[in-house]
Amino acid sequence: MEIQELKEGSKLTIALSGRLDTITAPDLENKLNSSLNAVEELVFDFKELGYLSSAGLRVLLSAQKRMNKQGSLVIHGVNETIMEIFEATGFTDILKIE
Amino acid sequence: MRKTFQKWLLIFVASAFFLTLCLSFYLQTREAKSNSIDLIDLKLDDAVKQIKLNTRNVEAIRIMTESEALAKARALAEIILSNPEVLKEKGWPGRMEKILDVDEVHIINKDGIIIASSSATGYDMASNAQSREFLKGLGDPDFEFVQGAQPRGMDQEIFQYTGVSRLDETGIVQIGYYPTRLANAMSLADIENLADGFRIGNHGSILITKSGKIVSSINDKLLGMRMDSFGIQSGTLNKKEPFYATIEEKKYLCKPKIFSPYVLIGILPIDEMYVSRNEMVRSLVFSNTILFSIVFLLVSFLVDRVVISGIFHVNRSLEKITEGNLNERVDVRSNPEFVSLSNGINTTVSALKDAITEAAARIDKELEFAREIQLSSLPTVFPPYPDRTEFDIFAAIFTAKEVGGDFYDFFMIDEDHLAVVIADVSGKGIPASLFMMTSKTMIQNLAESGRSPAEVFMDANRHLCENNEAEMFVTAFMGILEISTGKYTFVNAGHNKPLIRQSVNGYDWIQTKPGFVLAGINTTLYKQAEIILKPGDLLFFYTDGITEANDPSGAFFGNEHLKAFLNSPEAIDAGPDQLIHLMKKEIDSFVKDAPQADDITMLALRYKGS
Repeated sequence: MEIQELKEGSKLTIALSGRLDTITAPDLENKLNSSLNAVEELVFDFKELGYLSSAGLRVLLSAQKRMNKQGSLVIHGVNETIMEIFEATGFTDILKIE
Repeated sequence: MRKTFQKWLLIFVASAFFLTLCLSFYLQTREAKSNSIDLIDLKLDDAVKQIKLNTRNVEAIRIMTESEALAKARALAEIILSNPEVLKEKGWPGRMEKILDVDEVHIINKDGIIIASSSATGYDMASNAQSREFLKGLGDPDFEFVQGAQPRGMDQEIFQYTGVSRLDETGIVQIGYYPTRLANAMSLADIENLADGFRIGNHGSILITKSGKIVSSINDKLLGMRMDSFGIQSGTLNKKEPFYATIEEKKYLCKPKIFSPYVLIGILPIDEMYVSRNEMVRSLVFSNTILFSIVFLLVSFLVDRVVISGIFHVNRSLEKITEGNLNERVDVRSNPEFVSLSNGINTTVSALKDAITEAAARIDKELEFAREIQLSSLPTVFPPYPDRTEFDIFAAIFTAKEVGGDFYDFFMIDEDHLAVVIADVSGKGIPASLFMMTSKTMIQNLAESGRSPAEVFMDANRHLCENNEAEMFVTAFMGILEISTGKYTFVNAGHNKPLIRQSVNGYDWIQTKPGFVLAGINTTLYKQAEIILKPGDLLFFYTDGITEANDPSGAFFGNEHLKAFLNSPEAIDAGPDQLIHLMKKEIDSFVKDAPQADDITMLALRYKGS
């Protein structure tokens, strides 16, 4: 998995590509832990993301909880496979997906 | 490391360089001064010798001149004695002058009057101090007198008179002449001219002073000046020690030598004195720069070869070891110390590796225990309720290598109600396993207290959200079957949709909108739904270990494959036990030799009617 960051003021866009699974989820978690300070608008770009496991969902849930306190979280470019995962797990109820 | 070493080496070499240079400079300065003093001393000795020699020469010439003059005067007296008539001869004195090679011939009578002369006949010798000196010899038959040479006339040329007694009568025979040789010798011996003949080095010279006043110098401007006008007192001169003085804005090294009544001072310009030293130091700087550069490069190169590259190799190996590659071996053999260091590190790493292997084995064993405990909490005896004919149930969990968080569960709430749960805890390892145990127990306890499935999940969710520091969550699906009526009430918390085979139709998904996962957000609301099962209906529950099973190329087993297989002739009529075994076989043939990443859990429930 590759993580690309783009910071514009208090807006942080993180583009992911590849698989967000048990092996790669800790990378994203570390990245978020170190980058989320003073971020008010967090955007995930999932256009290039092929797979999302429950470990990835855990990181998203964690990010959502944090952004609930300090701003907003939006996910862009969710493909059909991942959308199915979001729907099956009820994540569509808590995430803002555009 | 390399830079630090080179920095210190540079500091060391540069210090040695400057120290050597300072020492050479100091020694050369001392040497230059001592050489200069020796040079001055030598010249002063020469000057004194010259003065002495000149004095002796003048004396010798004087004696010679005097005896020659006396001989001429005596010869003249003899001539007059043998023939006194010559005195009356006109031109005789002039002739005698030529014969005797003198300049003046005077014959003086008993009264001190010149009676015969080529130029001064009738002159009274008493009328002048110089000539009067000769009158004291009048009447002394043995009188012989050579008067001191003295300057005369307009050009102040040295002239000398010599007289003897006349032999014929009372009177004096006097001759006068220019004592050329004596004059030359005297001129040569004149101390005032001496300085001109001596140079010390290129621009050094000798000053000759008398009573503190310069009487001779190669530089005419200095003549007559007093030494104290240069700040030099007579005390300094009398000490005979070298000293420095500034003369006409130029600094000199000076060395006095006393030759009474004179003091000779040898002077040498300081810059000249240091010429040799400066040249020496210049060539030393040049040669030292080359020498020390070579030393620096050589030592630097050698240490780099012998020590630093060794340390680099060791460090590189240590980095690899730190990164976890315990098979890395340090192998620097450039010198015995490194061989010893390499061996030491290798031994340590090898011991460490053994210890880690041992620890890993212990942890593996403990994880295995944990796994066993976890699995032992699941109902594994089938059929679980041999006396219940209303339903068949079968479940299996195929674990991945790592401890996972899948679980299934079923239990009778009362005689008429069977609860069935399937769930998957996010994450792996001991934390997931503990969270799974907690979730399983909580759901069972809540369900056994008579709550509806939705209530069970809402309460379980709230409890699980508390103290969930690890932010784990559980996807779970629970249903309660009312055995007497076939009413099946269920709730889904983010879990994979089960499939149902209703009598004649094939398998299809149970279509409900799932609620959010358990333990995610404590305010989540869960809605339950119900269907009525008819005898022969079969429910198939599973975890994502099936749909996300990978074949060697990385492709997923997927939902469609699952549904298609269940509807295949092979599987469609299978009972719970058989179905699960067929399913497992199908998965195995799909994944081939790809490693199993996640637990695979399946549960099948067939309602047979009351």
